Amino acid sequence: MSASATAPIGSQILTLMAALMLVLQLFIIAQRRLLTNIRLFAIQSLLLAGIAAVVAFHHAANHVYLVAGLTLVGKVVLLPWLLTRLVYRIQIHQEIEPLLNAPSSMLIGGGLTLLGYVVARPFTSMERLGNNTLAIALALVLTGFFLTINRRKALTQVLALLTVENGVMLAAVALTTYGMPLVVELGIFFDVLVAVMVLAILVYRIRENFASMDTSKLNQLKG
Amino acid sequence: MTDFPLSLLGVALWAYLAGAAGALVFQRFEKLANGFGFGMAAAGGLCGLVSCGAALASGMPVASRSIELFPALIPLVRFAIRADALGCFFGLIVSLLAVPLSVYSLGYARSYFGRRNVGVLAALFNLLLLSITLVFLADHVFFFLIAWELMALSASILVCFEHEQDESRGGAVLFFVMSHIGTAALILGFLLLFQASGSYAFTDFHALGAKLSASRRGGVFLLFLFGFGIKAGLVPLHIWLPAAHPVAPSNVSALMSGVLIKTGVYGLIRVCFDFLGAPPQWWGVAVLGLGTVSAVLGVLFALMEHDLKRLLAYHSIENIGIILIGLGAALMLLHSSHPMLASLALIAGLYHTLNHACFKALLFLGAGAVLHATHTRNMEEMGGLAKRMQWTSAFFLLGAAAISALPPLNGFVSEWFTYQSLLQGFGSTPSLIRLMFPLSGAMLALTSALAAACFVKAFGITFLAQPRSAHAREAREASLTMLLGQGLLVAVCVVLGLFPGILLKLLDPLTHQLIGERLSQRLSLAGGLVLSSGAAQGGTVSTLGIVLMLVALLAVPIVLWALFARGARTRIAPTWDCGLRGLTPHMQYTATGFSKPLRMIFKALFRPRREVQREYDLSPYFATTLRFESHVEEVFQTRVYRPLKWLVLRFSRRSRALQAGSIQAYLIYIFLTLLALLLFAL
Amino acid sequence: MNPDPLAILLQTLLLLLLAPLVSGIIKNWKAKLQNRRGPRPWQVYLDLAKFLRKDMVISEHASWIFSFAPYVLFTSALLAGLMVPTLATPAPLSLFGGALALIGLLALGRFFLALGGLDPASAFGGMGSSRDMTLSAIAEPALMLAIFTVAITAGSTDLSQICRSTQSATWRLLNPAHVLAFAAMFVVLLAETGRIPVDNPATHLELTMVHEAMLLEYSGRFLALMEWGASIKQLVLMTLLANVFVPVGLAVSEAGPGALALSLLAYLAKLLALAAAVVLVETTNAKLRLFRVPDLLSAAFVLATLALLSTFLFQ
Repeated sequence: MSASATAPIGSQILTLMAALMLVLQLFIIAQRRLLTNIRLFAIQSLLLAGIAAVVAFHHAANHVYLVAGLTLVGKVVLLPWLLTRLVYRIQIHQEIEPLLNAPSSMLIGGGLTLLGYVVARPFTSMERLGNNTLAIALALVLTGFFLTINRRKALTQVLALLTVENGVMLAAVALTTYGMPLVVELGIFFDVLVAVMVLAILVYRIRENFASMDTSKLNQLKG
Repeated sequence: MTDFPLSLLGVALWAYLAGAAGALVFQRFEKLANGFGFGMAAAGGLCGLVSCGAALASGMPVASRSIELFPALIPLVRFAIRADALGCFFGLIVSLLAVPLSVYSLGYARSYFGRRNVGVLAALFNLLLLSITLVFLADHVFFFLIAWELMALSASILVCFEHEQDESRGGAVLFFVMSHIGTAALILGFLLLFQASGSYAFTDFHALGAKLSASRRGGVFLLFLFGFGIKAGLVPLHIWLPAAHPVAPSNVSALMSGVLIKTGVYGLIRVCFDFLGAPPQWWGVAVLGLGTVSAVLGVLFALMEHDLKRLLAYHSIENIGIILIGLGAALMLLHSSHPMLASLALIAGLYHTLNHACFKALLFLGAGAVLHATHTRNMEEMGGLAKRMQWTSAFFLLGAAAISALPPLNGFVSEWFTYQSLLQGFGSTPSLIRLMFPLSGAMLALTSALAAACFVKAFGITFLAQPRSAHAREAREASLTMLLGQGLLVAVCVVLGLFPGILLKLLDPLTHQLIGERLSQRLSLAGGLVLSSGAAQGGTVSTLGIVLMLVALLAVPIVLWALFARGARTRIAPTWDCGLRGLTPHMQYTATGFSKPLRMIFKALFRPRREVQREYDLSPYFATTLRFESHVEEVFQTRVYRPLKWLVLRFSRRSRALQAGSIQAYLIYIFLTLLALLLFAL
Repeated sequence: MNPDPLAILLQTLLLLLLAPLVSGIIKNWKAKLQNRRGPRPWQVYLDLAKFLRKDMVISEHASWIFSFAPYVLFTSALLAGLMVPTLATPAPLSLFGGALALIGLLALGRFFLALGGLDPASAFGGMGSSRDMTLSAIAEPALMLAIFTVAITAGSTDLSQICRSTQSATWRLLNPAHVLAFAAMFVVLLAETGRIPVDNPATHLELTMVHEAMLLEYSGRFLALMEWGASIKQLVLMTLLANVFVPVGLAVSEAGPGALALSLLAYLAKLLALAAAVVLVETTNAKLRLFRVPDLLSAAFVLATLALLSTFLFQ
């Protein structure tokens, strides 16, 4: 099996997985239950790990396998576990009150995706594997941003931030093929891990002090 | 070109004029005025139909000759008409409607005997037909504007025919004001065109766009889009339409919704394809976008109505939107130089123009018959009419199915062409704007599904189930002429649906004139019984085939009956009432209830307000009295027009200071204006 | 290209006979998955035969529309089915219409079904009609966009052409556009056939029901036509998903009996897989509140839009 014969199939699988990441992102936008959201994020990260593995396989780039493995361990297992535990600790399961209702936020998500496609269009020729992964990555970042704005609870904002990060990783894998230098990737990775831990503690504290995780209540701190 | 068809067209015009004059002369004798006025209108329609049809069928070369009706009495104004393919097609529409509408009016006007001046009604009806026909045929700017104003004037008088009702007067005034704002824009547009051509003849405006600078062309386009958009009832310029159409007598409503608003469509086609030509991309985008918005919003507002005629009026807005989707697609495709596809899109738009004229007129006539029988336009007081007005209900059902784009009727055919042009349009350009095509296709799908929902409501609440009022219980079938008028339109709808090849052939000279393509050969297979999308292997449809197969498949139930159900009997029994003591009409679903889910889903648009007051004695579960009120806002009314009105009023109040009341002051104003103009000319 | 009477007859029979079986299998499997024994898969045939033999009760308020609706619903669903390729391309009535005619015919059936619901003056029927028309209207853009996506790729609205073009490039099955459009269509399938997140096919007198509410006043042979028509419509939509999106094993019309038999096997396998998916969704989900259904359908719309966007970048 030569690489040239598998390339179209690899490319197909890659774009398919990237597209599914986007679909999951939209599900996260529409979904109200915290635990489901966390699981959806885990599946999305699993897809990211899969994409990294496919890229690694096609270019025989061993260090990208490491990225895939780290994603698997960190974002598919560790972070969801952490967040799930947090959900159980603060005893809030589905109290998400988005600013906009599901259909309109879905439509906005669709619009942002369109924007991502438009912006990424000039760059499509630069990619080697998968035609529109960059567009999808951009769309992930944009919709993730929208998600952070649309959600009120600190926990879901953390989740939204994580999806943004997934988008960035996807762009890194898609655009440069070999990923970023390993050190940078590791740096980002641990940054995120630490950030989530800090945020988790913060969420817990906000919850304890205000009996709510609604970040809009933080304006009461002004005194 | 032989002179036969054109001279017959002249006869039609004179017949309308004679009908108008005769009806006024005989106004003392109601029956005579009625018979003569509407009889002449029918005769004129027949002549126009034959002449326009014959001219189009002959595959006319572009008629470049215009004919003077009278010698020029006034300098600058030439009363010249020219029957080119575009004018003939729209002339065909108005003539096609004139016949059944006049026949219907013969019976409908009888309800005004002794109450109102039927002579005036018949005269104005003729005048309206005459002016609309002249709008389509005029070959001179001033003649066009005279016909245009005559049309607005006669229509607005007809709108307030039942003038003691506030609603009628309000509708007429709103129509008149909006119409004039539009005319002002048109005059400006024509003057800009005149600057380039140096002549007021339409023939000299042909392909004038090349001589104009890009910005000036854009300005002219916008002025005409605004002016004709008002007449067509384009969102957000539509507010006059639901106010004016429902309050007019029903035969006039049919004429207004069927043809009058199509003068806007005619004007847009004339300006964009004939005068300006070579459209830049944004024109197509603008028209397609506005069309899509009009289609969706029109049907959504229609869904909230429970006044039968207002509901139909809002549907006119929707259908104008669908027509403009075709036109916009044609403009975009013309820009990306795909004349074949542009013709397809234009055909889709024009086909729908004719279709909408037929089924909307049919529906308004049906609504008129219902209004005549029940004395109300409120659907909540109707019901059960299918048993009492069998023919009217069958005709209305057919019209409802046609407007909901259900196969195999004519609405389906034109929407099929629209979808095909949108689908093929996607491949016409690599730029991103092509996403407009499938997205407006999706919105069109939403529109026709919502239209189906709306007409299930309109037909179901009006004609089915138990009568909701005493009037509805005592309703009787309409008179023979009224039924005949509706029947003729039903026949037209069926023919346009099942034999689309006929109209495609008639549209050939039109697309040839405007774009330079003849498509009927490509679009019709098997002698016009099967339609093709024009692309190789692009898809076919046959409405006649669908009908035949539906009938053939009836064999299945028949065989099943024979095999299984031979001994089965049928029993008539009360509807199941959950063990109560029988169902009353109040327990039925209402029109308001029917559209409630959509009102909730689109509440951001409708902003429904509800008010419930209940009184109870002992337990809150057993209310003694209950009052429920629900309102829906028309967003444009509250958000755009009310502030605008307020601004205008405030400005007028301020400017009252200028009105000193002394002659000298006014003379000074005039003098100063003169001086300013002279200085400006320096 | 002319319609072949034998093919029409055979496909009509196939649709008539297979449709109740598919409904029966879904019912049976659903019961199994919920630890019930459930009716046997062929129970639906017996039900239909019984309905056909029974006497009819017609409401005293009903007009001719009420008796007319079952025929329209039944024949339009059947005719729509003749435009979809089941075992071989082209479908027997490709010439008479493609995807657009199919959507139109289903709309025709729904139109009369809703009128039939309103006719007997019962509040249940009116409620069902109102909700059915609302939900189908919101499902329509997603359906149309999904069909546009595949039609644009194939350059045709003819379903047989679409099948062939997908067949000629099997790798396209993995194309994101294709997968997303499939997902959107699946949601539309659930909505249009009254499946659980949208409607509950198993209940009769419940305030949340949609489709069954409209049938409440129907009895005897009209009820048989209505039920049968609904199951044919379900089969047609499932065939659309199975053959247009995954045309694996689909034969060409000139193929011999061997190829046709193979095609039949493939077709049945795909239908069963789809039925299993439907059963899984029905069992693992609760029925959505009526005003939550638009969330689901707007998700389908966004999926279809994404499908379209992906086609756009993929060319």
